[in-house]
Amino acid sequence: MKFFCASLLTFLLCACGKPQDYTRFASWQSSPTEEKLMRNLLVSFEKQQPSVPYKYEPIPGNYSEKIQLMLGTHQPPDLFWIKDYSSPAFLRFDALAPLDDYLQKDSAFTVNDFFPLFRDAYKYKGKYYGFAKDFNVYVLFYNQEMFAKAGIAAPPTNWQELEAVAKKLTKDTNNDGKIDQYGLVIEPVIEMLIPFVHQNGGELQAANGDPKVTEPAFVEALDFYHGLYKNKMATIPTDVGAGWNGDAFGRKNAAMVISGGWLIPYLKEGYPAIKYSVAPLPQGKVKSTMAFSTAYVIPKEAKYPDNAWKMLSYFVGKEGMTQWTKTGLAFPTRKSVAEANGFYTHPVYKTFMESVPFARPLFVNYSERWYDESNAALQSVFYGGTSPAQAMQDLAPKLKKLKLKD
Amino acid sequence: MQFKSSKREQSFWAFVFLIVPMLLLSIFIFFPIVFAFIVSFFDWNLLLPDKPFVGLSNYVEVLKDPVFKKAVKNTIVYTIGVVPTQTLLSLFLAFMMNQKFKGRTFFRVAFYLPAITSSVVTSIIFVWIYSKPGLLNYLLSRLGLTSDIDWLTNPHTVLVSIMMLNIWTTSGYFMISFLAGLQSIPASLYEAAEIDGASTWTQFWKITFPMVRPVTYFVVVMSLIGCFQVFDQVFVMSSGGPDNASTTMSYYAYKNSFKYFRFGFGAASAIVLAIIIFGTTWLQKRYFPSEV
Repeated sequence: MKFFCASLLTFLLCACGKPQDYTRFASWQSSPTEEKLMRNLLVSFEKQQPSVPYKYEPIPGNYSEKIQLMLGTHQPPDLFWIKDYSSPAFLRFDALAPLDDYLQKDSAFTVNDFFPLFRDAYKYKGKYYGFAKDFNVYVLFYNQEMFAKAGIAAPPTNWQELEAVAKKLTKDTNNDGKIDQYGLVIEPVIEMLIPFVHQNGGELQAANGDPKVTEPAFVEALDFYHGLYKNKMATIPTDVGAGWNGDAFGRKNAAMVISGGWLIPYLKEGYPAIKYSVAPLPQGKVKSTMAFSTAYVIPKEAKYPDNAWKMLSYFVGKEGMTQWTKTGLAFPTRKSVAEANGFYTHPVYKTFMESVPFARPLFVNYSERWYDESNAALQSVFYGGTSPAQAMQDLAPKLKKLKLKD
Repeated sequence: MQFKSSKREQSFWAFVFLIVPMLLLSIFIFFPIVFAFIVSFFDWNLLLPDKPFVGLSNYVEVLKDPVFKKAVKNTIVYTIGVVPTQTLLSLFLAFMMNQKFKGRTFFRVAFYLPAITSSVVTSIIFVWIYSKPGLLNYLLSRLGLTSDIDWLTNPHTVLVSIMMLNIWTTSGYFMISFLAGLQSIPASLYEAAEIDGASTWTQFWKITFPMVRPVTYFVVVMSLIGCFQVFDQVFVMSSGGPDNASTTMSYYAYKNSFKYFRFGFGAASAIVLAIIIFGTTWLQKRYFPSEV
């Protein structure tokens, strides 16, 4: 018995203690298309740098929880992805390695080729901690057939037009007394509301970190956003039994939808018959839209940071990014790649590229809970009948408590 | 064969046989419980190297948090709604399934099936049933009630919807417990009652009900604990929403630990949950013992 236990124990210890001799790279996988793209990119990397042994460890679900646990147990992958809105938390927790030293050695990696918006999204206290592999922005997708049927020539360009067009497109097509085509589909989520707030001159957070959700510019934007739904010009996915707003658009429940580029492959695969076009988000007092990006980062505790940099430098370098973005799943964060590959002339992609100058990422200095609190507040407006002003009054003190310390 | 071992030798072998399960239990159950208790007194963030001792301040913050209060309220409403309904329903089902009729096995299997189906699968199916163009609204409209509710995004219906699902899945499971209890009641009792002229209803209340009391005790304790811990259905169907209308205590603990990076705070809320469960079970044992 003793022998058995002892040998079992030694076996376990050996199994755990085996040194890792390869660079570990982890990412989420949002679709099979993306996985295939990633694997192809890895093959190209291997051809270019055969001397870097690596292991790809995709994480299919609960990504941020798993990465957090790996970091907490001192076994992080050497290279992984983070989303821009989670970068303030990662940076404040001091979990990532600064990349400035590598930048100096790697002259081919031209930092200023990146759009400043995405380059600085991962900058903290003057140092770079990550580089965005791609980006997306919210634009307005609209159904060409429905527009033609209603005799609308051009997509709306401002709030008044958005309201008028949405009203015109909302109808009961089969005369059963129920509306079955809405002008627009929106979601009661904070990231979709924020562009309207920015367009109205409002902010979520002041420079000192205090919430600004009760200020008139914010509440007005929420009033307008919720008004579209309340006055039955817009619907929400759950009301029409759709999984998300892109799904509602594909099922022809709505003539317009606010979405990012991820809707393009979704429509192509699920609803190829839909004829759609894209336009920049209608503007309020100023133009604004939401920017999303994903970056490669190297944790402080990486075992092979040098090799991880080699991978990073290839993936977000000109060659890697060209290969990664050529299918149009997401858009290049390097200006040169966008220009060289016709992103500015493509009929659909150019709208996304042209939205970059006025796009803003979702950055807040609150702990993660702010997102759920804000969405709960929006849900109380959309589902619970609380007035926008009241919901924001209730939200402000909650957000204030979640302020992150520098 | 002779058994002539000394007491010492006996206890030695007892330990040898116990050591593996004891080790496993210690590693995976006792240690985590103690550790969670310790963590609840610290500001424990996985990503930060310093994890300061904060005394009871996690507990104070938990008890002051309006979302936690809502979670406690939801959990209690949920438990009060589910436990009695589920217990009576499964007793009734067991009573029916204990009668002799054709196709009895089929019905027994049919009622038990939800219990052995993965709760994630049943939850996803019920997400469809409860959706606005879903089956439930269709059936209601067939009954002449026009319902335009999306059951899972309406703050007034979401908790009830999850309660109904849970009653459906677990009644079959507890039915089996009751069935076993019913079958251990000696037939002579019923015979005697019949001779004395007792009706079926009287037999049920005067014989069946008291005789299955130990089983009832078991069922109530188990479903109480199960209800206080309800998590998977909430996680899959509503993510605690809308506006925290279906956030339960265990979901709250999960969210704070694994979503908001706050393990100490999450552990504190889990300890509060454990105290509530422990207290309720104790009350039940004190005032409704399994044997009279």
